[in-house]
Amino acid sequence: MQNKWIKLKKDSWKFFFLLPLLLYLAIFTLVPVIRSILMSFEGGNNYAWLFSHFRFRESLVNTILITIFALLFEFLFALAIALFISGGGRRRIIQALILIPLGIPTIVVASNMRYLFDTNGFINTILTRLGVVGIPIDWLGGGALTLFSVVISDMWKVTPLMMLILLAGIERIPKELFEAAAIDGVGFWQRLRYIILPLLKPFITMALIIRGIDTFRIFELPLALAGESFPVLSSFAFFEYRNYNNPHTAAAASTVLFVLILIAIFIYLKLVGLPNEETT
Amino acid sequence: MSLSDSEWGVLRREIIPPFEKANNCKIETMQIEAGDLPQMLEAMSSAKRMELDLFAQDNMNLAQLVDRGLVEDLSRYKKDIPKEVQKNLIGVGIFENILYFMPYRPNVQIVYYNKDAFEKYNLKPPKNWDELLAAAKIFKEKEKVGRVLLKACGSGPTVTQLYEFIVSAGGDPFSFNDPGCIKTFEFLQKLWPYVSRDSLKAKWNTSNDYIARESVYLMQNWPFGINIINKKYKKKNIATYSGFAGPAREAHVIGGEVLGIPRGSKNIKLALVFIKYLQSKEVQEKFVRELSWPSIRTDIIVPLHFESVKNALKHGIFRKHVSYWADFDRYMNEAFVRIVIKGEPVKETLNFYAKQMDQVKKR
Repeated sequence: MQNKWIKLKKDSWKFFFLLPLLLYLAIFTLVPVIRSILMSFEGGNNYAWLFSHFRFRESLVNTILITIFALLFEFLFALAIALFISGGGRRRIIQALILIPLGIPTIVVASNMRYLFDTNGFINTILTRLGVVGIPIDWLGGGALTLFSVVISDMWKVTPLMMLILLAGIERIPKELFEAAAIDGVGFWQRLRYIILPLLKPFITMALIIRGIDTFRIFELPLALAGESFPVLSSFAFFEYRNYNNPHTAAAASTVLFVLILIAIFIYLKLVGLPNEETT
Repeated sequence: MSLSDSEWGVLRREIIPPFEKANNCKIETMQIEAGDLPQMLEAMSSAKRMELDLFAQDNMNLAQLVDRGLVEDLSRYKKDIPKEVQKNLIGVGIFENILYFMPYRPNVQIVYYNKDAFEKYNLKPPKNWDELLAAAKIFKEKEKVGRVLLKACGSGPTVTQLYEFIVSAGGDPFSFNDPGCIKTFEFLQKLWPYVSRDSLKAKWNTSNDYIARESVYLMQNWPFGINIINKKYKKKNIATYSGFAGPAREAHVIGGEVLGIPRGSKNIKLALVFIKYLQSKEVQEKFVRELSWPSIRTDIIVPLHFESVKNALKHGIFRKHVSYWADFDRYMNEAFVRIVIKGEPVKETLNFYAKQMDQVKKR
């Protein structure tokens, strides 16, 4: 007991240096989050109203679908690219090229993607000129096509981030394992299934959680691409607050988003386990 | 003020410097969106640090500022408004006989159409709803895609459009289910299959691109589009006119901005001098010439394409100042989505929103 006390006393300077960060987090993150949750219970039964509202239900479904499809495709593409560029000399150049989209602001990405997906945009021009379609496809008018456009746009921007995390994981796998597998004549798919994926699990967890949280909060992309015809939870909350002066329903929608993120993290950790479990 | 970059350019280059020189002062400008101004003024007012001396605010967003007591009473300066200013533009700044806002920039939507496309199909620009529906049907039939643009993006553009349609049909938009409202939504439901899908993304700033790039042949927008279509896209085949009438009349919402002085401003006198300067013939002429803004003054000679603006202003209507505008905006948008886009029954849906609106009014 005394030893513990001495150790704590000895480490107290570390807490002292951590204090500004903790205070910052408490004031600018924790307090607003708690305040927002409390606000969501003020001014009537906001949750009952939310779930009875067709726009909110649409936002909820759109957010969940974007998250599922974006994560799935981003993961598959990121893994493929990471496997392709790991190890070889081509790595640095390709890695640098692939990272470019990460540096572009989301709103700029959305504007550029509008040039692609607009009814008289690049994709429709090509498709109509090649005679693939007779009339332009309405990519951004809502529904499954808009979901697809948003997912593709999101993928273009953030797949490099996921790729970087997975690449770091692949680079950490001991070379001897691959050498032993090669001697035993193990093929690519078996290597992937029995060596790479199991050892990559902590990195996959980290990548999916980081990207999952981010994708749930998606805002500018669907808003700039499709406007209000394709609402998501964060844009719904934004319009509630800004257009309709309704901070309580905006807070309730934000709280639903927050709970959704917590549930997703909890389920994923339950299914896959904490990142440290694999490495320790 | 909330202006585009090109508009700020003209203000900062040609309007503000002569005033600064004449009055030996420095004017700092800020871009503030209409929806953000009330919160910003409220925050400054609560902190007892009013950092704004003058603002230009969209005339659709005035009631909140008055209700929250954020603006100075300017009634005693009413006599200083130049006599050349159109009298009907002063009323929008008056709340319960108190003048809170000064006129400076009116706006009214006009119809833009592609002359070549209309000539190709032997059509005339629609003057009423029947002709509008007929033109939309012909374009869709001939080209397989809709070429008439509605503002179906939601929020302000959709509500402004609906307001005009309902008044044109002889209805009161706030009732939601009077015969004019019902006629409007029935007509829009009929029209919807023939309009351009770009309507779902059409805002005031994006609509100009659609007509200039010829993905649509007819749309309604504010006159600033003339500048963009002529100068940026160099299009010569886009013409304008005041617009089409509904079953009852032709009606166009008068938008634009008015000037107000925040309560607690430290430079009221100078702000009033600047208001007078902005209302002067010299400045208003520059607004017309450089920005294609309609003028508040009657003594300004306007370019030819401004005839459509003048005609539209003749049929101008102001929206009612109501403190529940935000709720009205929400219900109108929702009714539009459910009835026009999703095809839900007109009367039942409008009755539902009429009840919602009644509850809001009682509150």
